[in-house]
Amino acid sequence: MSEVMVTIDGQQCEAKEGETILNIARRNGIYIPAICYLTNCSPTLACRLCLVEIDGKRAYSCNAKAKEGMNVTTKSEEIEVERKAIMQVYDVNHPLECGVCDQSGECELQDYTLRMGVEHQKFAIADTLRPTHDWGFIHYDSSLCIVCERCVTVCKDMIGESILKTVPRGGPVLPKEWKESAPKDTYAMWNKLQKSVIGIASGGDTLECTNCGECTAVCPVGALVGSDFQYTSNAWELTKIPAANPHSSDCSLIYYDVKQTSIHDAKEKIYRVSSNYSFAPIHGGIRYGYDFENEIEGKDEKAMKKAVKFFKEEADSIKFDSFITNEEALILQKLKENYGYKLVNDDAYAYKTFLENYRTTSGKSLYSGDLREIQKSNFVISIGSFVKNDSPNTGYAINNALTMNKGAGLYFHPISDPIVEGYSKNILCINHKIGVEESILYLILDLFGDKEKLPKNIIEYLNNFHKKEKKTITEVVKEQVKEMVRDEESGEEKEVVKTVSKNVEKEIEVDHNLLYDIVGLKDDFDIKLTKMLAKKDRFSLVVGEDLYTHKRAENLAKLLGMIERYTNFSTLIIPSKTNTLGVSLICDLDKSVGKKVVGYNVKADFNLSSLGKADLSFPALNQQEGTFTSMNKRVVPTNVALNFDGYCLNDLANRLGLIAENTINYTVELGSIKGYKSEEFDNLPNEFLNSGGENRGYLLDIEEHNASDEVEEIQEMVFDDKYAVYLANPVMQFSAFTNKAHQLNEAGALYASSEFLEINELKDGAMVSIVNKDAKLIVAVKLDNQIKGLIPYLPTFDTKLDVLPFFKDGYRFAEVTIKGVKND
Amino acid sequence: MELRGFKSRNATPGYIYFEGETEVKTPWDRFKRFSSRAVKGELFVGLWIVLREMLKFNIHTVQYPQEKLQMSPRYRAIHRLLRLFESGHERCIGCGLCEKICISNCIKMDTKVDEKSRKLVTEYSINFGRCIFCGYCAEVCPELAIVHGDDYEYASEQRAEFGFREDMLTPLDKFKANKQKEFPGFGALSKDADKFVKKTPLAY
Amino acid sequence: MIETALIIETVVKAVVVLSVVAGMGAFATFIERKVLAFMQRRLGPMYVGPYGLLQLAADGIKLFTKEDIIPQNTIKPIFIIAPVIAASSAFVAVAAVPYFPEFTVFGYTVHPIVSDINVGLLFVMGAASVGMYGPLLAGLSSANKWSLLGGARAVIQLLSFEVVSGLSILAPIMMMGTLSLIDMNDYQIGGVANWLIWKQPLAFVLFAIAGFAETNRTPFDLIEFEAEIVSGYATEYSGMRWGLFFIGEYANMITISVLVSIIFLGGYNDMWFIPGALAMLIKVSLWIFLFLWVRAAWPHIRPDQLMWLCWKVLMPLSLLNVLITGIVLV
Repeated sequence: MSEVMVTIDGQQCEAKEGETILNIARRNGIYIPAICYLTNCSPTLACRLCLVEIDGKRAYSCNAKAKEGMNVTTKSEEIEVERKAIMQVYDVNHPLECGVCDQSGECELQDYTLRMGVEHQKFAIADTLRPTHDWGFIHYDSSLCIVCERCVTVCKDMIGESILKTVPRGGPVLPKEWKESAPKDTYAMWNKLQKSVIGIASGGDTLECTNCGECTAVCPVGALVGSDFQYTSNAWELTKIPAANPHSSDCSLIYYDVKQTSIHDAKEKIYRVSSNYSFAPIHGGIRYGYDFENEIEGKDEKAMKKAVKFFKEEADSIKFDSFITNEEALILQKLKENYGYKLVNDDAYAYKTFLENYRTTSGKSLYSGDLREIQKSNFVISIGSFVKNDSPNTGYAINNALTMNKGAGLYFHPISDPIVEGYSKNILCINHKIGVEESILYLILDLFGDKEKLPKNIIEYLNNFHKKEKKTITEVVKEQVKEMVRDEESGEEKEVVKTVSKNVEKEIEVDHNLLYDIVGLKDDFDIKLTKMLAKKDRFSLVVGEDLYTHKRAENLAKLLGMIERYTNFSTLIIPSKTNTLGVSLICDLDKSVGKKVVGYNVKADFNLSSLGKADLSFPALNQQEGTFTSMNKRVVPTNVALNFDGYCLNDLANRLGLIAENTINYTVELGSIKGYKSEEFDNLPNEFLNSGGENRGYLLDIEEHNASDEVEEIQEMVFDDKYAVYLANPVMQFSAFTNKAHQLNEAGALYASSEFLEINELKDGAMVSIVNKDAKLIVAVKLDNQIKGLIPYLPTFDTKLDVLPFFKDGYRFAEVTIKGVKND
Repeated sequence: MELRGFKSRNATPGYIYFEGETEVKTPWDRFKRFSSRAVKGELFVGLWIVLREMLKFNIHTVQYPQEKLQMSPRYRAIHRLLRLFESGHERCIGCGLCEKICISNCIKMDTKVDEKSRKLVTEYSINFGRCIFCGYCAEVCPELAIVHGDDYEYASEQRAEFGFREDMLTPLDKFKANKQKEFPGFGALSKDADKFVKKTPLAY
Repeated sequence: MIETALIIETVVKAVVVLSVVAGMGAFATFIERKVLAFMQRRLGPMYVGPYGLLQLAADGIKLFTKEDIIPQNTIKPIFIIAPVIAASSAFVAVAAVPYFPEFTVFGYTVHPIVSDINVGLLFVMGAASVGMYGPLLAGLSSANKWSLLGGARAVIQLLSFEVVSGLSILAPIMMMGTLSLIDMNDYQIGGVANWLIWKQPLAFVLFAIAGFAETNRTPFDLIEFEAEIVSGYATEYSGMRWGLFFIGEYANMITISVLVSIIFLGGYNDMWFIPGALAMLIKVSLWIFLFLWVRAAWPHIRPDQLMWLCWKVLMPLSLLNVLITGIVLV
């Protein structure tokens, strides 16, 4: 895209061609009012406030694309009159309940009403009864709604679920008399406003979505609010504490909104989690799963002494998970260096090994992609990630790329996911057999690899899969036929040229790719792919946990490295847990534990835990300061939202001989690790700039080095899909921490599609026994409408359900026999 | 002519300017001052005034527990929370403006959504240890719900004894006995309040 | 026999005078509060008894029952004895003061004076001066800066005005040629015209001013002026010890009133139709009222002004008065 110059209010602004005037103005600090427009989403044209004059003509700046030499005026008397009238219309029949409204001062309707100087009302129309709706996590008060459609837009363009839409309001039609007295745009906008209100697209009264709650975040008025937050606090009473999402590796910027619990209890409490919806959407897991703090009463000196004694006398290894900060990881690493404890962390170990293998062939110390890159690309492939559940933010990025960049995508996963399918009609979901990921990666190399640069042995290997086949196809041939037509009125005869399609059978030689068969692609894949690839220039590849827990993970990683090197794809390897990337970079991990194990958030001989009921309690992630290493390869800070009176890992480390006053003293010491910088914690910023720039922490450095081309051939995996069960958490659940939150607390179950229930003649909630050679479990089965196919999944978030024995070798799929159990 | 009144333009007119005493330099001046003061009889004027007041016997003492003063409506005593005259329901809607405006930051409220899906104030408190009785809360209240009372007898063993909602809210029995008076003082509507209201066109 | 009767009579008189003066002193506090209140448009004590009359008793009970506190660093014996000196010296001074004319009870002639000594005035002045030790010792022993300042102020004030009162009374003594108060009273027999005030107006004024100063009354109440030195020498005192200072002060007030009445205002001689005893009562009451009245009306003065007044104005004037009297007498 070429650079153009645009003049906005006399100011010369550089822009890319095709960029909207509104975004250019915002980046250059020129104010154009707009209610309905959302950054990174398509313009709705509902509010019409962003009205400007471009070269003397009226246009909407959220929609107008920049062209060379445009002259834009954002203010004129005419426009001001129009804008004021629009605000007056928005105020028509808007209930005067600002006093109790949850938007309390953050209301854009209020802001613009004041800004446009609306001091009296000249418009009127009879009000319509607009009832309130309780949509589970979300409360919708339609009488407060100004139908800006931001919720609809964000749900479609960002989240990708299109669960909301405008529905008829009912009530009186806008009288014609206003057409003369109201300005043009005002009338048009009012006409639309008067007809519509927000409703659920399916027509039902429950939200069948992933409950990300982003619609409540974008709502400019108090129409959409979280049901749990409703009427509990005025927004201005809440202190916003900037932090990073502690549940998943996107580590999005969030704010814990904190206030005292009640008049009688001065202890701080998190009332809600808010976000910067313009640049960082967050998922339901953190929006509703924020109160996972570890509540304890004071320092437990006895437990501390016991812990120190155990560490000094008995323990030889520490087992932990990746829901810890970089600083804690560094403390653990130092404990290992100084005292020789083994560090065991299964997911980070798998990730670390995968990354190491990836480095050998990619020549880079880290993968090149990130979520921003996905958002910008127009062709995205996802492999081995149960995106909707594993990393919703990746899903949002993929959807955003598909909808905003007219992109296309491929989604490879054994479990069929209707939500992902719904992202766009240009996403092709391929539900392959379990264990064929190697073939998929080879296929990508085959399809997108730079054949000139690819090593010969690989080209040869790939060529093995190609077979020439003869095939009969029907082709549509267009012919022009001349015909004489008699005009019935005039009786004259005319010669008319008509185009007629004819089906012609033809035998052609086709190149048949055997990899298609292995992966399970249909014959028309070629045609579809060609269509999808039209005008595509930016490619992203997302791989997930399935790959690095795979039995062939080593080769998969190397293949991924090859893809990184020999195709245009930028890859992103989604870390499975919040700080898996950080832990794998910081800690020198061991494969298995020794005799006596200290568990940090993991069950072991001596339990350190922030989940409560531990031998020594530690603060949860919303009670800690520190940094995470996000999937965007960014070290982002998180702050203390709630007070913790007890000991933390640093206190324990101090007793063991490491000396640091605070945990964050280790932030600067992260610099000793490759890629990290020696930055003081207090100097790390945590915000988004007006232009959308992410001013949070710092990016990891990526080093380049020589790469090898050694990869292995495909090794087939024997796996019976019929007996498969998958290891994944349901939507919104990520760990025991999310489950601890009061809004998300639930019992774990076997999650299965309606198809699965039907075939096995099970009812939602029935008990089933799950058996394989390693373990046995009796658990309820729960209907998950957001998956299809016959593979159910078992969750890890419920500490009462011990499902890991089924997945003994770490792979996310296991073969089990599932049978219904009669409830006696 | 005395020019001082003109020279100091920032002074409020109507003030009497005191030039200050003439400086005493010599012992003779001092003696003159002494004698003039002694002869002037200022001392005896003082004696006369107090004697006169004693003879007049115009006593201003209010014998407090038996006699009580009628407080002005603008007096700002311990707050009260009023009820709606029509329904007896609390006027407070929980908007939190008083909480926000309070300059000594002593007002706190807890709210929740009630079963009628309205905002319900579950608890309301004023920390009278910090309250400076400025009256902003009464002034800002859009519902005339929180007002200053005229009850100036607030001695207690515990400050907290006034600070909660049940202490300030008009008790129902008192309300039913029609004893709740509209508050004429701080924050109340002025008599000409109607004049400042613009009518909004309503289509029905 | 006669001696025994004399002893009994003296003891009875002493007890009567002591109790009456003490009682009057106490009552004077009530009157003072009331008068001050009225002058300030207040009511004064109203709750204890009718019109607050029993306030007296209440105060007394309070003073007697209050905890006796002797602060830590005080010099105990001196601290304890100081108020006793203040009170006893005031009462001793009363011994040589005649109050009323002689009267006869059941044929026994009563001289309403405890001890008729011929240097009565000298005795009274002397005994009253001993009272200075009260504040001085209290101030020195209290281990308190304000007490010390109060004590110091007491000494300079009392010493200074002792000079003025002595010198001012010298002229009347020269005229009357006696130091006995009864003789002085008798000197003025014969109605208002014979009062000494007409012959010695300056001496009267000087003696009155000195009297205010010696009793620590406004405008000369520097010794215990709250705004400057809390409560002066009495800062550390409470309960009955403080009460003794208080009674001493009021007894002094009464003594001064009686002295002025006897020396300058015709004493207990009959005044027109008014019998001598009643006339004396009226004069003394008026003087006490004057003390209160002045307190209600006037501000107090600074210590330096007090000294200036004493040594540069009053003392020369009194010397001048003595000189002129001497010249006239010669």
